[in-house]
Amino acid sequence: MSQPRSSGYLRTRYAQDWMLLETRTQRVGFALFAACALALPFFAGAFHLDIANQVLLASIGAVALMLLTGYAGQISLGHAGLLAAGAFTTGILFKEFAAPFWVTLPAAAAVGAALGVIFGLPSLRLRGLYLAVSTLALHFIVIYLGSEYESKRGFSTGVVIDPPRLGSWTLTDARAWYFVLLAAATATVLFSLNLMRSRTGRAWRAIHGRETVAGALGISVQRAKLSAFVVSSTLTAVAGCLFAYYRGFVSAEAFSLFLTIQYVAMVIIGGLGSILGALLGAVFVVLFPYGIEAAMKATALADRLSSLIFAVNYAAFGLVMILFLVFEPKGLVGIWQRVQAWFLLWPFKQKPVGK
Amino acid sequence: MGQRLTSRFDELRAKTAPQLLAEHARATPHRVAYRAKHLGLYRERSWAAYASLVGRCALGLRNLGLERGERVAIMGDACEEWMICDLAAQAAGAITYGIYPTASVSELEYQMHDGGATIFIAEDQEYVDKLLPIADRLPQLKAIVVIDDSAMFAYEHPKLRSFADVLGDDADGLGALETMAHELNPGDPAFIVYTSGTTGHPKGALISHGRHMAGAYTVVNHYPMLAAKEHRSVVYLPLCHIFGRDLAITVPLLSRLVPHFGESIEDLPQTLFEVAPTVLFTVPRYLQKFASMVLVGLGSTSPTKRAAYDAAMRVGRKCAAARWNGTAGPASAFLQHAAASLAFRPILNKLGLDHVELFLSGGAPLPPETAALWQVWGVNVVEAYGQTETGGAFISGQRGPFPRPGNVGTVVSGWKVRLSGEGEILVRGPDFFEGYWGKPEATHEAIDAEGWLHTGDVGQWHDGNLRIIDRARDFIVTAGGKTISPAHIENILRASPYLAEVVVIGHARKYLTALVEIDFDAVADWARSHDVSYTGFTSLAQHAEVERLVSGEIERLNAQLARVEQIKRFRVLPKALDPEEEGEPVTPTRKVKRTLMYQRFEALVESMYDDREEKLVAAEINGMLST
Repeated sequence: MSQPRSSGYLRTRYAQDWMLLETRTQRVGFALFAACALALPFFAGAFHLDIANQVLLASIGAVALMLLTGYAGQISLGHAGLLAAGAFTTGILFKEFAAPFWVTLPAAAAVGAALGVIFGLPSLRLRGLYLAVSTLALHFIVIYLGSEYESKRGFSTGVVIDPPRLGSWTLTDARAWYFVLLAAATATVLFSLNLMRSRTGRAWRAIHGRETVAGALGISVQRAKLSAFVVSSTLTAVAGCLFAYYRGFVSAEAFSLFLTIQYVAMVIIGGLGSILGALLGAVFVVLFPYGIEAAMKATALADRLSSLIFAVNYAAFGLVMILFLVFEPKGLVGIWQRVQAWFLLWPFKQKPVGK
Repeated sequence: MGQRLTSRFDELRAKTAPQLLAEHARATPHRVAYRAKHLGLYRERSWAAYASLVGRCALGLRNLGLERGERVAIMGDACEEWMICDLAAQAAGAITYGIYPTASVSELEYQMHDGGATIFIAEDQEYVDKLLPIADRLPQLKAIVVIDDSAMFAYEHPKLRSFADVLGDDADGLGALETMAHELNPGDPAFIVYTSGTTGHPKGALISHGRHMAGAYTVVNHYPMLAAKEHRSVVYLPLCHIFGRDLAITVPLLSRLVPHFGESIEDLPQTLFEVAPTVLFTVPRYLQKFASMVLVGLGSTSPTKRAAYDAAMRVGRKCAAARWNGTAGPASAFLQHAAASLAFRPILNKLGLDHVELFLSGGAPLPPETAALWQVWGVNVVEAYGQTETGGAFISGQRGPFPRPGNVGTVVSGWKVRLSGEGEILVRGPDFFEGYWGKPEATHEAIDAEGWLHTGDVGQWHDGNLRIIDRARDFIVTAGGKTISPAHIENILRASPYLAEVVVIGHARKYLTALVEIDFDAVADWARSHDVSYTGFTSLAQHAEVERLVSGEIERLNAQLARVEQIKRFRVLPKALDPEEEGEPVTPTRKVKRTLMYQRFEALVESMYDDREEKLVAAEINGMLST
């Protein structure tokens, strides 16, 4: 498959082509990153830990959207709706049947998969903007059903959910949540990385490239599209379920259209067509409002603009997105790759050994 | 020299390569003998598998009718099957010889007749195509074996066999190999290596089993690190060359060198990168080529990176000089390490050369600037000197590590070197070749009555190191390590009616060029009938139309030459050579004095060579060798 990044890694088995970390530098780098990720909750305070958890939660959803939009090329504006579907499945099952998390989680996934088929059906006929609008319609349907449930059952302020429980142990501690979410995010990333190297993943990239050619190559375009929607929606609904438990509260208001835009921003700012991009995008978008707030505090604008803080946030966010689209269409991952290449090619500018 | 060492040489003198292979297969059956890349993967061959393949192949060759003492010719690039067929033919009692993959059809025909091969082994369809037109003129030929038969569609020659068929399915290879190896006499000839001769046609140096083993052991003995631990090497030199054979076939039997074969020779950069060899044998051409590739790449890099490299280079030059002068201490080692981390190691890593512990150059003179540059980069490049006639033994080699470039080191143990009155290097050792195949008079010319081999090279002693002043006076040794007889080429080119005199140039160069004197009468005649106006010899010689004519003639005659022998560029001499005149580079009998010719027309000669690579390397070293 790919070339090793350093000399001396000859392959004697095809399985070695699948290694995610091949060279020593890659392994050491990853080990350092993993050690930092595992040590973080023991050094971070409650505030920072909550941000970290939000990043992890967002990264699951962002990776899911990346699979659909970044790899398979299907535009969806129904992401918040799918998160809501997962969250409401959890809330309703908990309220009506007092279902434990090991029931609600698979149920959310199942609902996500079913919605994936429904969301995906228009994609068989529609493309681009038309597809985006049809997914947007579905978003409103899901949100409408959720809020109907809230008002009909008298939870007009939202559904309160107890934390997940395993025997006598309940998951309430932020630090414990961090490790649960870290595990979930890691699993999602590994699943996605491997999926993209499989036949399914290659089919998705092919239909992204050009549907007609993909079809001529023997790829079933319909099946590829539907599977992309199903896999993405399932992951998203699971993220919604985790979100519901983490917040302990489900409300239709939390899943506004702005949430969808945030996820789309993660994918675009991160860099389309890269799992790493989804992660970088999630970090960026989650941290961005805190950054703006800190900047406003630092420049002593906070007092004067306190009433406008949301407006400033939105405006800055919009501006950043435009800037990325214009100046760095490959997103954060594009910057990362350039930095990496600068060091990997050292001291050359281009690869000197022509192939 | 200790008693134990002498006995090791004696022991090897009583061995054959197939026998050593069988011993390895019994002693360490599971240890990796070599790796060969097929379909993207390096297939590991254990000694047991290797021996079994050789045994099966030997049985297959016998089934094709191969008798003891018959010859087997192998043509193709270095690959594992080349090696297997070679050892199999040796095991079956035959004498093998390799034919250069670049050989022309006429050269191939000559070697097929001269060697008298009964079996021809072709690496692929390309070589079959070369042989088939002349196959009918080779009555002794029993079979043509094709290693890679993937392009063999609609070939119906009755003598064609595929290598897979020859191997068969389920013979007990190791058992067969042991039986056959037992029957071999170590004093019998094992293989022939063709080298260029004065007559123009190559001469085959016949080398026997035991002497080759003992001879090749001089390499291991001179460089004990080869046997100290497992080493990776990459095979890319032609195996029909004695140097290539040593590296790929013989030395691995005597040390812990593990050869690696790439997917194909063209993929050499890729293969080097993947294998990251620790020991390499090379001809100077590759060292020059890689160095110029790096320097060209650095020429276009960003200012920051360039500055980093330049800084590393400043430090590296000082450290290399300290190593040559023997004044390198821990501080110098630390500085070299820093420079390597800053620039050299990343560079070498991209070439796959960052793990090289020993880079052995031979086969042709290594320009000292090139060696120096590699040493500054932290690669232990050493130069060795050997001859086909020494049967795989080195005559001398720089021990290193990091020797001062410019000589070929100290003489190997057990061998003696003496300089004749004219400075010619004379060698005497225990393990010479047996003689030239079918040319006993040439053998007597090469080895005198006292047993000294006349190398034809001119040398000098320098602090106990042998220094080569001039190599093989009558031959051209190209930078690629190929020995070429210019007389042979000149004779062919002079066949053109328009060319009166041709002088081939190319010693230690990348390619051959020629200085051409036109035949005034013939060309003048041609000019008149083609409406080319001229006033005298010079104006005719410098006419663009005449240049086109000569170019066409050379192109036509090039077809009769092997690729390495072809003339790539030429210059037409502006004046006629006059033997009557004093100091002219021709004798009264119109024999060309080569060195004088070069001196007289140096500017013309240099204008035919693109010496950017050499200049790049020399500029990098910045005259540090002159001290």
